[in-house]
Amino acid sequence: MLNRRDAIRGLALAVGVGASGWAERALAAAAPAPALTWTPTALTQDQARLLDVVAELIIPATDSPGARAAGVPQFIDRAVGDYYEKSQVEQLLAGLARMDADARAAHGDAFVALAPEHQVALLTTYDQQAGVARGQNQSHFFTALEDMVTVGYFTSEAGATMALRYDPVPGAYHGCVPLSEVGRAWATR
Amino acid sequence: MANLNGRARRKNTYDAIVVGSGITGGIAAKELTQKGLKVLVLERGRMVRHLEDYPTAVLDPWQTKYPQGQLPQAELAAHYPVQRRTNYTMTEYTQHFFVRDDENPYSEESRFDWIRGYHVGGRSLTWGRQSYRHSPIDFEANGREGIGVDWPIRYEDLAPWYEHVERFIGVSGQREGLAHFPDGHYQPPMEMNCVEKAFKAKSEARFPERRVSIGRAAHLTEPTEEQLSLGRTKCQFRNMCIRGCPFGGYYSSNSGGLVAAERTGNMVIRPNSIVTELIYDEKAGKATGVRILDAETKKDEEFYADVVFLCASAFNSTWIMMNSTSSRFPNGFGNASDQLGRNVMDHHLGVGATGEAPEFADMYYSGRRPNGIYVPRFRNLGDAATKRSDYLRGFGYQGGAYRAGWDRDLGNRAQGAKGFGAGRKAALSQPGPWTMGLGGFGEILPYEDNRITLNRDVKDAFGLPTLTFNVTIRENEIAMRRDMQNAAAEMLEAAGFKNVQGKDGGYAPGLGIHEMGTARMGRDPKTSVLNAHNQVHECKNVYVTDGAAMTSASCVNPSLTYMALTARAADHAVKARKRGDL
Repeated sequence: MLNRRDAIRGLALAVGVGASGWAERALAAAAPAPALTWTPTALTQDQARLLDVVAELIIPATDSPGARAAGVPQFIDRAVGDYYEKSQVEQLLAGLARMDADARAAHGDAFVALAPEHQVALLTTYDQQAGVARGQNQSHFFTALEDMVTVGYFTSEAGATMALRYDPVPGAYHGCVPLSEVGRAWATR
Repeated sequence: MANLNGRARRKNTYDAIVVGSGITGGIAAKELTQKGLKVLVLERGRMVRHLEDYPTAVLDPWQTKYPQGQLPQAELAAHYPVQRRTNYTMTEYTQHFFVRDDENPYSEESRFDWIRGYHVGGRSLTWGRQSYRHSPIDFEANGREGIGVDWPIRYEDLAPWYEHVERFIGVSGQREGLAHFPDGHYQPPMEMNCVEKAFKAKSEARFPERRVSIGRAAHLTEPTEEQLSLGRTKCQFRNMCIRGCPFGGYYSSNSGGLVAAERTGNMVIRPNSIVTELIYDEKAGKATGVRILDAETKKDEEFYADVVFLCASAFNSTWIMMNSTSSRFPNGFGNASDQLGRNVMDHHLGVGATGEAPEFADMYYSGRRPNGIYVPRFRNLGDAATKRSDYLRGFGYQGGAYRAGWDRDLGNRAQGAKGFGAGRKAALSQPGPWTMGLGGFGEILPYEDNRITLNRDVKDAFGLPTLTFNVTIRENEIAMRRDMQNAAAEMLEAAGFKNVQGKDGGYAPGLGIHEMGTARMGRDPKTSVLNAHNQVHECKNVYVTDGAAMTSASCVNPSLTYMALTARAADHAVKARKRGDL
């Protein structure tokens, strides 16, 4: 059967980092956006590059991999092609376009080219607007975008096995366990 | 190619034919073959072999094609407009175990959610595994209250067969010593979590008559030699049961009954065989076999036997009988009573309450328990204290406590700004608040005009007639639902839960996926279709032992009762055949 430790080791090798590498990746996220290492199939190159940057801002590398290393932008690109409803895709693309438009209006450059603090400031604005919209039970592109990244991340191998705890074959059920012994939330229920 | 003669006919002749391979067909096959009969099992759908044909059983979350294993809306709308209605049955993980609605149409004069699986094993692969005995008061209620007809059997008639089945399938559970919630033969119970234990203590202190138990579930926690010898092992607490279990940790026909039957050497199983009618011999006054439509070759074929067991699921067994007309049975097989297709029952659900646990923020659980807690019925137990003036019968609760996961702020659930970045990531990497829910499963009374009828105008993909549904819940069920909501809320409040919310999310008949009735058992051939041994009153060598036979619904999950009725009927059939009484 599957062995969790092997799975984690395999993943660490696959993304080319050891347990001490995450801090460096967190710093790397603050540097100008790296070129895409994958080819989008449903999004344009520019949309994918923007998505790649904003996904990592929403779920950055910390003591566990971030959205980029977990393959979240590819996950969303794939779902744009074969899963999301037309209205969801339109909302996502309009949201990405708006982020660039707002970036240019405020700072004269595309979102991906902005300084990290400017990127964070824009997202903070969207996050607050999305909160207000949710209070009125309305949809907002940032709620939808954040959901896409969140689902993509926590169902990825990196997210499920490193940010969360995943046990494919628990073997037993223990009903009362100190949280400190588990450490993190279970990836599946 | 009807009317085979000579060798061809002998080749297609068996001692018994079992129609259907699901939760009852598997038991019928096992019991009849182990008692020495040569048995042909006919299954309308494709073959599903234990272990080999569970393609999603070990998929990890990141291995699905679509986000969270959910199917695209367009695909659901085109092919699964009914199967999607439960919100949990139709996913990428389970798609292959449920029918395509566009190929298996039916007509809804009123909404009916008919959730089906057409393949070897049927819904025994995807069932909820909750395994309770009907109680003595369940078998007495119709007669005492003048509802429908009296059951022709009592609890004592079925008790040994409950035990027989429990020993075979393996049921994990806690004995409670309650007369209205009979104990069975159990493997060790699963554990409650901290919040459930505290809920039990506090709720029972306030409402001692409302026992809080752990669910009785058909999972192996201490497998027997017999279960191990069939290739089954202990439940591994993966909670991915609905995909098929590579450990045989829960009971399915595929991992249990059909394996045992196969090992006798007495079983032939023929998938892709849609039984279209029973063949009736007017001179002999009995059924001689069944006619099938081969789903692959599209050709008719006949098979013959001394005895036929209909185990095709309630409405499909009834469909076969409705479609089996002759000069003897112009209105459907064994339907002199005009009860065939009537008294459709299910369990009404989707109502209860939730609350947030105020304690245990530092506690969690490990493993994924494929089971919840159970609160057995506590209304209308026959004494003054539990008597309700607003409705008959009762309900049980199923539920449990769990800590919210990473998906807790999706959609519009979160209030205000959610934040983003390392802080939110760290927060979602920790478990959220404890929530506990109680959901009622209520008894539906048998109403004659809650019925299915044969529709010869609408045909399925094979050109066969279909069913039309007209089923609704009535005043008794609606009054019960109010109590189901209020009583759940008061239990959570008594146990100190915060933000307790009672809720009725609505219910459409069928959603319980516990279809019952339509060929009920009874004492009188004028008012029932089957007798006390599940024989068709008017044709004793045809037995119907699935949900169709049920005279009343109880409020407990019904599969164990179907299996016990099946084992009892098989014993009867073998003895009657030996005596020459069939």
